[in-house]
Amino acid sequence: MNKSAQEAFDNLTETVGDAQVDKPKMRTENVNVFYGTNQAIHDVSLDIGNNEVVAMIGPSGCGKSTFLRCLNRMNDTIPSCRVEGSITLDGEDLYGPDLDPVLLRARVGMVFQKPNPFAKSIYDNVAYGPRIHGLSSNRAELDDIVTDSLKKAGLFDEVKNRLDAPGTSLSGGQQQRLCIARSIAVSPEVILMDEPCSALDPIATARIEELIDELRQNFAIAIVTHSMQQAARVSQRTAYFHLGKLVEVNDTKAVFTNPQHELTENYITGRFG
Amino acid sequence: MDKLHLDQHISHQFNKELEDIRNKVLKMGGIVEQQVKDGLQALLEADNDLATKVAQGDYEVNALEVEIDEECTQVLARRQPAASDLRLMVTVIKVITDLERIGDEAEKLGRFTRDLTAQSSGMPSYRKELRHLGELVKSMLHDTLDAFARMDVDAALTIVQRDNDVNREYETLERLLATHLVEDPRQVSQLFKITWCARALERVGDHSVNICEYVVYLVKGRDIRHTSMDKIKYEFL
Amino acid sequence: MSADKSITDTTTLVRRSLAKRHAAEKRFRAYGIFAIVASLSFLVILLVSIISKGLPAFKATYVNLDINLSAEALGVSESPDRTELRSASYNTVIRESLRELFPEASSRREKKDLYALVSNGAEYDLFDLVIENPEIIGTTFSLWVLADDEMGSVIKNGDDLTNPENIVTRMNENQLSWAKKLQDDGRLDVRFNTAFFENGDSREPELAGIKAALIGSAFTLLITFSLSFPIAVAAAIYLEEFAPQNRWTDVVEVNINNLAAVPSIVFGLLGLAVFINYFHLPRSAPVVGGIVLSLMTLPTIIISSRAALKAVPPSIREAARGLGASDLQVVTHHVLPLAMPGILTGTIIGLAQALGETAPLLMIGMVAFIVDIPQSVTDSATVLPVQVFLWADSPERAFVEKTSAAIMVLLAFLVAMNAVAVFLRKRFERRW
Repeated sequence: MNKSAQEAFDNLTETVGDAQVDKPKMRTENVNVFYGTNQAIHDVSLDIGNNEVVAMIGPSGCGKSTFLRCLNRMNDTIPSCRVEGSITLDGEDLYGPDLDPVLLRARVGMVFQKPNPFAKSIYDNVAYGPRIHGLSSNRAELDDIVTDSLKKAGLFDEVKNRLDAPGTSLSGGQQQRLCIARSIAVSPEVILMDEPCSALDPIATARIEELIDELRQNFAIAIVTHSMQQAARVSQRTAYFHLGKLVEVNDTKAVFTNPQHELTENYITGRFG
Repeated sequence: MDKLHLDQHISHQFNKELEDIRNKVLKMGGIVEQQVKDGLQALLEADNDLATKVAQGDYEVNALEVEIDEECTQVLARRQPAASDLRLMVTVIKVITDLERIGDEAEKLGRFTRDLTAQSSGMPSYRKELRHLGELVKSMLHDTLDAFARMDVDAALTIVQRDNDVNREYETLERLLATHLVEDPRQVSQLFKITWCARALERVGDHSVNICEYVVYLVKGRDIRHTSMDKIKYEFL
Repeated sequence: MSADKSITDTTTLVRRSLAKRHAAEKRFRAYGIFAIVASLSFLVILLVSIISKGLPAFKATYVNLDINLSAEALGVSESPDRTELRSASYNTVIRESLRELFPEASSRREKKDLYALVSNGAEYDLFDLVIENPEIIGTTFSLWVLADDEMGSVIKNGDDLTNPENIVTRMNENQLSWAKKLQDDGRLDVRFNTAFFENGDSREPELAGIKAALIGSAFTLLITFSLSFPIAVAAAIYLEEFAPQNRWTDVVEVNINNLAAVPSIVFGLLGLAVFINYFHLPRSAPVVGGIVLSLMTLPTIIISSRAALKAVPPSIREAARGLGASDLQVVTHHVLPLAMPGILTGTIIGLAQALGETAPLLMIGMVAFIVDIPQSVTDSATVLPVQVFLWADSPERAFVEKTSAAIMVLLAFLVAMNAVAVFLRKRFERRW
């Protein structure tokens, strides 16, 4: 980091740009995350609006994945992890005493970096969520949910003749779309994606990106990505994280043509940072 | 973001490519400036040889334009530049178009001068007015290239304002020529050529304004074309 | 120029070291092949020796006797009832028919030698026959009865009775000549030894069978499996998936690992002290043996189950949790099925260990001489390895082959168990 950038970071007290939107789906305010005594996230406030894709970019270890995982309490399983600040979903406190994480995760779905289909058939992969949550009362309803989810994930035509084939027999890109279908089968309100394309080839990536754009009609989406081009392609707003701080959040087109903060500029243009 | 830090990319090759493009643009600017200078000198001094040289000296600028265009395309395709790098690419592509047009105007200047000196007769040459206009435009172009080289927004904005003087000067000259034409329609051909020379100089001023606007876009990330000067002043000065 | 030179230098240097490296590789491969050949040949030697020794135990020599089953000889009335038949003297009938075959045996000593040609078990065969068909009393018929182990061994081995001096046996000359006569008359026959699989232990080698030990082993393993498998899997799941990482779980973990290294006889002592002396569970019973062996097997299964659980990719857990599965659902729906093959492997290793275990069972009295086939887990019983141990201790020549045969049965049991495990594992693995 050159001297001026270091100064810019040290002087960073609040996020550049508009962190808040009107009528947010999820709102985080002054979120701090600690692993033991180590603070991973500093005072992050960021909204995720309805029908928008928020991309989170930043160098490795900047806390973007950690932040994403706070949004459906996936960090609960790490004993030393402590979350402070307020995270709300439709105004409801995520870490409040009344909210069961199981219910939360049904409302806030997640797609992971590596395609991780269950060791089950394609059908059972998608049907798993609805089954455990009891979303269907009979087989026909479940069939509908599965078909619908696979269609939404753009996978149905490719697998309709082999729904009972193992999920792991699909190609990497298909597996990731299966994972997306699996998430949307429980009809969540928000989908979190943690580098969903990092293990995929460009064609599969393009498919997923196309899919993300379509899913935006029905869901709020937060995506963490290492590919700035991907963030630029799929998102409406982009948030830049740096060493646990949210440096800048703005309209994607503004961030990629005219970022306000020097650190953002350095990162997206590939300068010493 | 006043400085673009073109030399601070992690990729040294990228730094070199950008530096190379920038240098070529500056070189192109230098050639174009010289063309305009020569054209003006030929016009004012009725130097037929120099005029011929200017009229035929456009190929170098054209070749440079093609070359820079190619390099910009390469950078866009291979580096996918973002933010200031992206703005630099867009700016360069536009700047060289305007530079090439300035080169064309200089060429016209040379061509009309050559015609004028060939059929010279005792009529008034409007040399004083043309010199006045020419010097204005010449210094404007020089400062524009300077502002581009130094990424100087303040200078660029000042230059944009200076175009008003050029326009006023051109309109005055145009009125004089029109009056002369009414008085002495026999000299219509020469008068038109003088008008066109003035027109070419005025156009050089307009292209310089365009380049200044690109410089503001490059540095500030704001497109100030078709924006009132008051608003621009309010925002930047 | 200098670049070219360094390239050629590199090439020659690499080439020089290459030969060395290839030689090392070849040597290593040779060591490996040698090791495999050596272990294979040991295995072959072991198997050949056991099988060659044990095979005769699966055959038995029978003697054909003409039985004159008169009520008088039996010492019963003309129309005897069952109680009378039960106390009848079948031995007398057998001996009578032997005397008829060889009237020359006249002295008391000679008669004793003569009677010793036929197994003590012969009278039980006759007894069974008569009890089932009382109407044959008063008739004369021929009957194949089991020969005594000494003559049986000689006949089974196919020893040449014309050269009695070459035969290693405890039979005397008279017995050998009678045996030859029996053979010449076609009154001797070698058949499959069904008694070996149908009887319990016996002092008479030709009557001793493996069944009691086999059933005992099966019962013991059943108890061991049904105790250790659920407990161990539950413990492994708790420790791996749910337990908080603190000093207590560390202590538990260290102790489990240590427990796996405790000598098995210690578990036997524990069983004796706790289950028999304190809880007064029956001695020599498979239930106690099973409990003791479960204790011994638990750490093995826990450790291998934990390894299997740990090997399940965390991404699967995250995926399930991300869909809103509860912790228990994550484990039962996803982690456990994927870990099952590994858990089964560990279980089979543990059970195989338990199957071959002798020491702790000696401590709780499963070393008893068991004639009756155990009917339940609380009956006195013995197990295959203990049976092997007992027979190996017996002096009669026929018990040598019994010992080997018992080892073969033990091995077959083991192979069968492994086959079941492989089958189960394949079934679980087929679910991708």
